[in-house]
Amino acid sequence: MINHDDYVKINIGPSHPAMHGTLRVVAYTDGETVVSADPEIGYLHRGVEKLGEHLSYHQFIPITDRLNYCSAICNNVSYEMAVEKLLGVSAPEKAQLVRVIMMELARIADHQVCVGILGVDLGAFTPFFYLIIQREEIYEIFEHYNGARLTNTFGRIGGVEADLPKDFEQRWKKLKEGIARANEETDKLLTHNRIWMDRTIGVTTFSAEDALAWGFTGPCLRACGVKRDLRKDEPYSVYDRFDFEVPVGKYGDVFDRYMVRMREMEESVKIIDQAFKLYKDMPADAPLMAKVPKTIKPPAGEVYSAIESPNGELGFFIKSDGSDKPYRIKIRPPCYMVYQAFPEMVKGEMIADLIACLSSLNVIAGELDR
Amino acid sequence: MAKPVVEKRYKLSEQVYLWELIKGMGLTWKHFIFNVKASFRPEPHTIPTCWQYPEDRRPIAPNFRGAHMLMLDEEGREKCVGCGMCAKICPANCITVENAKVPEGEEAKYAGKTYSKTFTIDWLRCIFCGFCEEVCPKGAMMLGPEYELARYTPEECLADKSMLLANFHKAKQEGKLRPPREPVPVVGAAAKPGEEKPAASADEKAVTSAAKPKVAVKAKPKAAE
Amino acid sequence: MNDLIIALIKVVFIWVWVLLIAVVMTWVERRGAAMIQDRPGPNRAGPFGLLQPLADGIKLFTKEDIIPAKAKKLLFILGPILFSLPAFSAYAVVPFGDKIVLGGKEIILQVADVNIGFLYIVALGSMAVYGIVVGGWASNNKYSILGGLRATAQLISYEVPWGLALLAIVLVYGTFSLREIALAQQGTFLGILPNWGVFKQPLGFILFIVAAYAEANRVPFDLPEAESEIVSGYHTEYGSMRLGVYLFGEYVNLCTLSALIVTFFFGAWHLPYINMASFLGPISYGIASFLVFFLKVSFFLWLFVWVRWTVPRFRYDQVMGLGWKALIPLGLLNLFLTALAIQLTA
Repeated sequence: MINHDDYVKINIGPSHPAMHGTLRVVAYTDGETVVSADPEIGYLHRGVEKLGEHLSYHQFIPITDRLNYCSAICNNVSYEMAVEKLLGVSAPEKAQLVRVIMMELARIADHQVCVGILGVDLGAFTPFFYLIIQREEIYEIFEHYNGARLTNTFGRIGGVEADLPKDFEQRWKKLKEGIARANEETDKLLTHNRIWMDRTIGVTTFSAEDALAWGFTGPCLRACGVKRDLRKDEPYSVYDRFDFEVPVGKYGDVFDRYMVRMREMEESVKIIDQAFKLYKDMPADAPLMAKVPKTIKPPAGEVYSAIESPNGELGFFIKSDGSDKPYRIKIRPPCYMVYQAFPEMVKGEMIADLIACLSSLNVIAGELDR
Repeated sequence: MAKPVVEKRYKLSEQVYLWELIKGMGLTWKHFIFNVKASFRPEPHTIPTCWQYPEDRRPIAPNFRGAHMLMLDEEGREKCVGCGMCAKICPANCITVENAKVPEGEEAKYAGKTYSKTFTIDWLRCIFCGFCEEVCPKGAMMLGPEYELARYTPEECLADKSMLLANFHKAKQEGKLRPPREPVPVVGAAAKPGEEKPAASADEKAVTSAAKPKVAVKAKPKAAE
Repeated sequence: MNDLIIALIKVVFIWVWVLLIAVVMTWVERRGAAMIQDRPGPNRAGPFGLLQPLADGIKLFTKEDIIPAKAKKLLFILGPILFSLPAFSAYAVVPFGDKIVLGGKEIILQVADVNIGFLYIVALGSMAVYGIVVGGWASNNKYSILGGLRATAQLISYEVPWGLALLAIVLVYGTFSLREIALAQQGTFLGILPNWGVFKQPLGFILFIVAAYAEANRVPFDLPEAESEIVSGYHTEYGSMRLGVYLFGEYVNLCTLSALIVTFFFGAWHLPYINMASFLGPISYGIASFLVFFLKVSFFLWLFVWVRWTVPRFRYDQVMGLGWKALIPLGLLNLFLTALAIQLTA
């Protein structure tokens, strides 16, 4: 226990240029060195889980958009899959492919934002713009799919609500080049730059055992050197058909997290290519929706279903009492587990590292506070 | 909580700062020159990624989910029958519908036997999920291309029937009306009307479910099992 | 009497000119950053957004002037003034052109040809930090004080390699007068290269320019105002025109530093291989030398912008490490080598 009177208390957030959303960190510093940093959460608490108990199963889909708003589609699909599991139905194959394509696009968008913001927080403003321009193209695809850009309300229980837009192939070709170019440029500007390396390599390292003990998932865990990816280890949807690598880091520092995200974008591009090839082989009028009743009344019971969202394992626990509304919804956001370890990670580092660490963890307030 | 110790091994080109810095500056210079050239092109929309907003607008997708419209049919009659399905499905609870029988002598104005006496959407609550459009059995509701919804007072954000109809007329005038969303094919060709998702209205379903091939649907194992 | 008027005209002229450059620099910075980042930047006010600085100025002037309740009032007001004054004053000894003959009278294009101009510059460079520290401390804000502290350590550390690089220059030219250094850079060096400081002191140039970036608080050394870490650093609590003076002073500072780089290392107003004085008339030569000088200055001003939008920011301890562990030993080495070379060739 430290004596707080000996140190300078610096209140970072909830409104601070480097706090993503409304996070708040109460840091005690000795000069520039962080002695302790206590994250305070709840500034964006909207009672999402409680809301779910008052909405029907379908009505909860738009609410899930507002969890991790950088990749709303992954949240939607995660929730839908949980309900489908509860109902005992499965979305048709073509719908699964559409879901995979859209989820991977969302993953790329999420990682682009994360890497871009990491650059901004470390003072490199320019890569952010190169990446965000490509994200714009991804959002264009989303918009042409069902009319919304950020809060997509993608998919329905039992399938998806629309087919891929007709010009998807053409757009994807253009986008693929764009993503590759943006990644290459970001790589050129940052990866081998000594300043960037000094700022990221060896900063807030985390061992694999610690990461597992704290319940890390997603890129933050893989950066620590644990090769765990739900898409590979517990394949859901149609992920078992695709050939892709799971990039891992070694030390769990900011640089590894950055590299894992950069590499994952490339892998996602590969997955979309393969999925789209399979999609094209499907007949044009193959079903996109499983047979589900109009009013969803799942049998009483409970279910947990998780997917690999861009931030890690995003799980939905749903308990049903047989009525048309869920009895209880519990969301397992990946950020929450990662953010718990934040004080441990930044202890003894400098203020600038605290910011870098927070950006590289990609803590999204919407998901964290729910 | 032993933190792993990282061995830093820099290449010489990384060690000296300047080499990578110059490479990076080459990259930014390339962008600079490209954009300077682009900015001499005639206005507006000089740089490809930016839209000069009020003058130069991004073309929105045809099925954009913007301000709601109450649809009229070809004969200019209101399609809405005031059933209140949209109010029921709305997750944000922002739609209020009051239905009534069509008064005598006004049958030419309404397509159904009943109509919505009042129809209010609270745009301050609305989350533009598009469920109201999907659920409407008559195709009377559609989310239109209008997206500039900022108003000065909360009262102005209460869209009543006249506003929703005005939206429709505006979109029609500008040729931005899109065909209704097509319902997606559902597993099992013999789906009876009513058993399907609320997405499709009854008459359209007959068309789509007619030519539907049987495709074996493989049940995929779920993640947590 | 006549001399006094001429001196006054020179002072006013260079003052206005530097102010103008600083104003244009705010535009160049924003527009240049935008072009690098694939966006148009400010393009509404006037052609190409050239009137944007004016709009900014009007905005800053008409904003409410807030002095935080718990701030130290006098120092809070003094901060921006202390910051911008040295930046302006440094121009007094910078030769911004050769000479011009007007009405039979030869006028040198320099406010004051002080024979210790060199020390004057170094002294004023150290003064600039007071504005930051005073402003940061008077604000009574933790972010501000952190910014102020960072500035102190950084500026004092980088004063040393800066001074060492300058000392090597003094060794080479054997004078403390900026004018004489500038004049000595005419002609060619080793037969093929222009006789510029950068070719005689390549290492010194790199040391000087890195230290200049640190002195000017520019990325990658913008720690005192690191936006994502300590909000805005020393000017977090400043608003309205007091903030304007800080931002403005920064550009004036850049302008001064660029002028120094050009004077010491890039041949001041001399064009390579061409002797302008030999074929230009006395008046046109004066104007041409002035223009050439500022053409070179504008390149370095642009370099400041260009680098800023390319690289990330250092961390505090890394800045100190670079300064003390790399630049100062290199500076000493450079000084030693220079002295050795001079001793051997003399």
